Amino acid sequence: MLGKLAFTGIKSRLRDYLVLFTGLIISSAVFYMFETLATNSSFLSSSTNGMDSASFIFQFGSVLLTIISLVYIFYANSFLLSMRQHDYGIFMMLGAKPAKIGRLILTETLVIGFLSSMVGIIFGGILTASLGNYLMEKIVQMDLPNFQALSVKAVVLTLALYLILFVVAGLINRRKLIKTPVLELLKGDSQPNRPKLKPVNQTIQIVLGLGLLAFGYYVMKHFVDFQLASIPIALVTIVFGSYFLFNAVFVWLVVLLKKTRWAQQGINNFTLSQLSFRIRNYTKILATVSILFALALGAITVGMGFGNEADLFTQGSSGYTMALKNPSQAVKKQTNDLKLARKSSYSFKATKKAVYYEKDEFDRQPLQDVSDKWMKAISKGKKPVASYDSRDGKTLQKNPGSLYYLQGDFEQEIKVVSAQKYAEIQAPQQELFVFRVKDIKQSKEKLDQIVKTIYPKTFQQQRANIPGGYSSYLSGLEAFGGFEFMGFFLGIAFLAMLASCLMFKILSGANSDKHRYEMLNKLGVRKQVLRRSISREIIILYALPGILGTIHVLFGLQLFKTLLIAPYQGIWLPFLIFVVLYLIYYWITVKLYQKIVLPAVEIDK
Amino acid sequence: MDNQAIVSAKNIKKIYGRKGEKQYEALKGVSFDVHAGEFVGIMGASGSGKTTLLNILTTLDQPSEGTVEIDGQNITGLKGNDVADFRAKKIGFIFQDFNLLENLTNSENIALPMSLQNVPMAKVQPQIKRLAEQLSITGILDKYPNEISGGQKQRVAAARALISQPAILFGDEPTGALDSSSTTDLLEMLTTVNQEQNVPILMVTHDPLSASYCQRILFIQDGQIGQELKRGNQSRQEFYQQIIDDLGAFQGQEAKYKC
Repeated sequence: MLGKLAFTGIKSRLRDYLVLFTGLIISSAVFYMFETLATNSSFLSSSTNGMDSASFIFQFGSVLLTIISLVYIFYANSFLLSMRQHDYGIFMMLGAKPAKIGRLILTETLVIGFLSSMVGIIFGGILTASLGNYLMEKIVQMDLPNFQALSVKAVVLTLALYLILFVVAGLINRRKLIKTPVLELLKGDSQPNRPKLKPVNQTIQIVLGLGLLAFGYYVMKHFVDFQLASIPIALVTIVFGSYFLFNAVFVWLVVLLKKTRWAQQGINNFTLSQLSFRIRNYTKILATVSILFALALGAITVGMGFGNEADLFTQGSSGYTMALKNPSQAVKKQTNDLKLARKSSYSFKATKKAVYYEKDEFDRQPLQDVSDKWMKAISKGKKPVASYDSRDGKTLQKNPGSLYYLQGDFEQEIKVVSAQKYAEIQAPQQELFVFRVKDIKQSKEKLDQIVKTIYPKTFQQQRANIPGGYSSYLSGLEAFGGFEFMGFFLGIAFLAMLASCLMFKILSGANSDKHRYEMLNKLGVRKQVLRRSISREIIILYALPGILGTIHVLFGLQLFKTLLIAPYQGIWLPFLIFVVLYLIYYWITVKLYQKIVLPAVEIDK
Repeated sequence: MDNQAIVSAKNIKKIYGRKGEKQYEALKGVSFDVHAGEFVGIMGASGSGKTTLLNILTTLDQPSEGTVEIDGQNITGLKGNDVADFRAKKIGFIFQDFNLLENLTNSENIALPMSLQNVPMAKVQPQIKRLAEQLSITGILDKYPNEISGGQKQRVAAARALISQPAILFGDEPTGALDSSSTTDLLEMLTTVNQEQNVPILMVTHDPLSASYCQRILFIQDGQIGQELKRGNQSRQEFYQQIIDDLGAFQGQEAKYKC
C-alpha cells in the first residue's frame, strides 16, 4: 500500500512530475557526458599533445555541474514536497506515524532520483555517442576512433552522486514535513501572501541589495586585486543582493502599478493581483533564477569566447601559418589554392655546426613576425588587431629569433651571413617555404590536406610539429575548443534547470488558479483577453530575472579578462542563442499554463 | 444513557500572536463535556472561535492553556507517534471539503486509515462492505472520487472516518458543501450511526437544519460558550424552530453588542 500511495501520487500529477523529470534527466545526462569525456582513458591517450588540459577542463566542468545540481535538486525536491503536502497532511490527519510519512517521502524521492538518473545516463550515453562525438570532432578537430560512449566509471560516478544528493534531499524533506503543523499542510496553499509595504524596511532592502550587487560587481571587475577570493565574495554578495532587490523592488513595483490608471483597464488589475497573490514565494525563485540565468548565459558566452580565442591566439603566435622545409612541387601547388596574405621562400644550408641563411634574401623579401602592438593591446585589455613587422637581413643578423621558431629546432644555431660567406659553406642547399593564410578557420581543411600530402601516414602525430600558426591553432582548438564545448553544455544544462525551476513554480500555482480563470470566463471575459493576461503575467516572471541575470553576466565577464584575450568580442551571438532558448521555455510555460487554467467552455465563438 | 464523558474540555484558552506583539484571544476559557452516544453541535458566527476549538479537540492545534481529555486520555501535549496513534485509533474526522484523495478509488480511500496502520486489505474488506451498506455507497466503491456527487463524496468520507471504529466522530461543517437533499441524507445516516453504534458525534455547523439533528447545541460567542440548547423530547422540526428562534435572539444580542 505504501508503494501504491507513493506511485499514485506521481501518476496524479504527471504533468508536474514530467517537468521535474525533464530537468533532472537533462542535468544527469550532461553530468554523465562530462564524466565520460573526463574519465575516458582511450580518449585521453589518443590526443596529440596529451589532453591533460582538456581532461582538467571537463573535471572542472563536472564540479561546477555538481554544485548547480545540488542547488537544483534541493529546489526540485521542495517543489515536490509542496505538491505532496496536502496528501501528506491527510495521511497525518488519519493517524499515519511520522516514521511512516518519513519513509514515504524517502521512497518517493529515491524512486524519482533513481529513475531520472538512470534515464539521464541512457540519454547521456546517446548524447555522448552522437552529439558529443560530432561536436568534439567539429570543435576540437580530433578523430576519435577508439572513443566509447559507455564508460562504467562514469555510470557509477553519476549514479552515486545523484543518489547521494537525493538521499540528502529526501532526509531534508522528511525533516521539513514532520516539523510542519498538520493544519498548515492541509490549508497552506490557499492563503495569499499579502504584500505589505513597509517603507523603511523596503528602503533598507533596496539599498542593501544595490550595495551588495555593486560590491559584487566591483570585486569581479578588480579580479586581479582580490585574486581567487573574488569568486566566493562575488557569489555571496550577488546572491543576497539579487534576493533583497527582488524582495523589495518586486513587491513595491506591483503595489505601485496597481495604483496607476493602467491597472484599472480591462483585466490588468487581475493580472497584477495574480502576481501579488503569491509574491513572496516568487521573490526567492526569481533571485535563484537570475543567478542561474547568469551562470548559464555566462557559461555559453565564455565558452564561445574561448572558441573565438583560438583565432586570436593563432594570430599572436607566429608571423606565418606554416613553415615547410623543402616542400615538393605538389605541396607548393596546393598552396596556390589557398587565399594567401603572404608567401616567401628562403634558401638555407645546414651543417653539423649551424644553419646558414643568406642576408640578401631577407633584404629582398623581409621576414615577418608578430608586431609588438599585438602584445601591448592585450596587456592594456584592448582587442588586439593582427599586425606584422618586417625584419630585414640586418635585423635578423643581430637577432635571428624569428628564424629559430620557423626552423622548428632550437638546438642548432642559426646564422644569417653575407652572400659570399653563404656560397663558401659546403652543404646542400635547402628551402624554407613560408606562407600565411588570410583566414585560418576557412583554410583549415586545405591546410590539413597539405599536411596529409607531406605525411600521408603520420598525419595525426606530425601536424602539431609543423612550425607556424597552424600548430598553434590546433592546440588552441584543443584547449579552447574544450572550453567552448564545456561552456555550451554547461550553459544548456543550467538553462534547462533554471527554466524548469521557474516553470515548476508557475505551473504549480496553475491548479489553484483554475477556478479564478473559470470565474472570469463566466463573467464574460473573452478567452483572447485571458490568454493575453496569462502571457503578460508569465513574461514578467521570465523577464525580471533575465534582465538582472544579463547584468550579472556583463559584469561577470570581467572575471575572464585575465583568461581571455577579448571576453566581450562577439558577445551578441551567445546572447541571441540564449534568449531564443529562454523564449522557447517561456512559450512552453505559457502553453502549458493556458492548457491547465483556461476552461473548456468558451463563451465567445 | 451512559454518562461517561468521552470528551472533557477544561478551561481551554487559545491566544494567537507572540508575547509583546498584538495578541488575539480566540478562545477565552471554554469548558464542556461530550458523553457517550451524544450528538452535539457547535454553532456560532464566523470568527467566534468554533473552528479553533475543533482544531484543538482533534489535535490539529494546541491550546495555550487548559486540558482536553478524550476517551480518558489527555491529548494536550501529545507528540510524534502518540499523536498519530491517537488520531488513527480514537477519532474520525469529516471535513467540509471532503479531503478525499483523487488518485485512490473510493474503497481505497475508505481503507486508507487502516492501510496506514499496516492492516491488510483483506481484513478491512468486510468492514468496508458493512459501512458501505449502511451509508448506501456500495455501488460506487470502485469509482474514483471525481466520478461521484458531493453527497456521495461526503458519505465516503464518513465511511473513512468510521472505519477505525473511533471513540468519537468530529465534523467540520460536514454539510457545508452539500445541497439540502444530500444534507438530509447524510445527517440521517449519521444519526443512525450515532444511535445504532453508540458513536458520539461532535459537529461544527452554522446551518440550523444540520444542527436540528443534534441532541444538544453549544453556541460559541467571542471565544466563550454563550448558551446551550437541548432537544429533549422535541421532534426534529420543533427543535429546528427553536434553533431558528434562538439563533435570531442570539444574533440580535450579538448585533447589539457590536453597536
